[in-house]
Amino acid sequence: MKTLSQVIWLAGILVEFVILARAIQCKMFGKYSIFYSYVASVLGVSVFLYAAPQPLYNALYWPLDFVTMVLGCGVIVEISRHVFAQHISLDRFARWTAIVVFGSMFLVFAIHSFFFPHWKPAANPADLARDLRIAEAIALLTIVFLTGYYRIEIGKNMKGMILGFGVYVGTSIIMLTLRLFIGIRFSPIWKITEPSSYVAALIIWAVALWSYAPVPVVPAPPPDTDYQGLAGRTRRALGSIEEHLDRTP
Amino acid sequence: MIQLIISLVVGLALAVSLYFFARRVKPSAEGSAQQLREARQTLDSLQFGLLPNDLVQRIFAREDLEYVLSAAPPEVQSLFLKDRKNIALAWVRRVRSAVLDLMRFHRGHARLHAQLSFSTESRLALNFARLLTACRLLQIALYLRGPYAAPGMVRTAAAAAGRVCLISENSLAFLNVKGIDPAENDPARHRA
Repeated sequence: MKTLSQVIWLAGILVEFVILARAIQCKMFGKYSIFYSYVASVLGVSVFLYAAPQPLYNALYWPLDFVTMVLGCGVIVEISRHVFAQHISLDRFARWTAIVVFGSMFLVFAIHSFFFPHWKPAANPADLARDLRIAEAIALLTIVFLTGYYRIEIGKNMKGMILGFGVYVGTSIIMLTLRLFIGIRFSPIWKITEPSSYVAALIIWAVALWSYAPVPVVPAPPPDTDYQGLAGRTRRALGSIEEHLDRTP
Repeated sequence: MIQLIISLVVGLALAVSLYFFARRVKPSAEGSAQQLREARQTLDSLQFGLLPNDLVQRIFAREDLEYVLSAAPPEVQSLFLKDRKNIALAWVRRVRSAVLDLMRFHRGHARLHAQLSFSTESRLALNFARLLTACRLLQIALYLRGPYAAPGMVRTAAAAAGRVCLISENSLAFLNVKGIDPAENDPARHRA
């Protein structure tokens, strides 16, 4: 089991190297700076933890995981910025959702810490990690929903970034939850699935970000149309239909 | 336990949405002249082919029922009721599909505008959802009670169908201005 875990760990480091090397080769680092900073930081943490002795590994695993997790939140902001580059309102909405979700989560932590002095989040870091992942998942779901609802074309790079991140975050949530409820018996499975899902995400990113593919440009709206006019007409007419349907016996 | 359920629900929701996200086909270039012409044709076919009021009234005409009940043997009566029920159900399905077409059309065009109003879009989305639910309920009611059991309901549905045509007409009003195809843009032709 330990050998398998090490193979997965090394595979992850290798793919991270490939992604970063390709980013430098194709001059993409500046285009997705937060994302590549995130991958670089995870690579640094992985190499450090791989070389670290067991006591240091145990002491630093969760603090370093939180650092990369916070950078992961930045990746979501970057995804939103690129995907909704031509849709200011949708970008604002996605960001507000993320702010509200993360804000609510930190508020709950603050309230807990204030009213229950004996409660220490550091005592159960997996709990905190799971909550952060849930917040990331909600922000990601908002982006996926909005792109689907408005049929926004997002390009290969962004699609891969969302898919990879989603696979990792989704697996982490389920695994961390099961780990919290099943307990120590689940740890061997968690130690394999957690890095495996990250390697899967890295492979998706490596394929999707092999070359630069910007978000396609949205065609200009037809002349003689304005958004308020379109929305207003649809709203008024829909209201009339509802009035008629309300009379249904 | 609540934490477990919330976490698993979020995790599974993400997994399902990513599955559909990965399978999503590349959207067509909404807003092109070809696209707008196709939208116009789709809505024209809805207006002329399946939604005229006289056709709807014919489907639900009570005098047809009275004639069949008075003149035909029981097996013909049964066949008549079964056929009318199927036609009514097909008609409601078509109305629902018209609402869906309109919804797709609105979303397709709204996305071209950079400054969307979130509150307006939310209200519209809720209205579309309510209308689609109402159509579905109508379908269930027709299935359970038949076309002659609820005449008020049918009148309502007929009015709803007419309104769908009106929305379609209004949503595409700018095509008339542009004059993409003058032969097809005569407003008099689109009255159901």
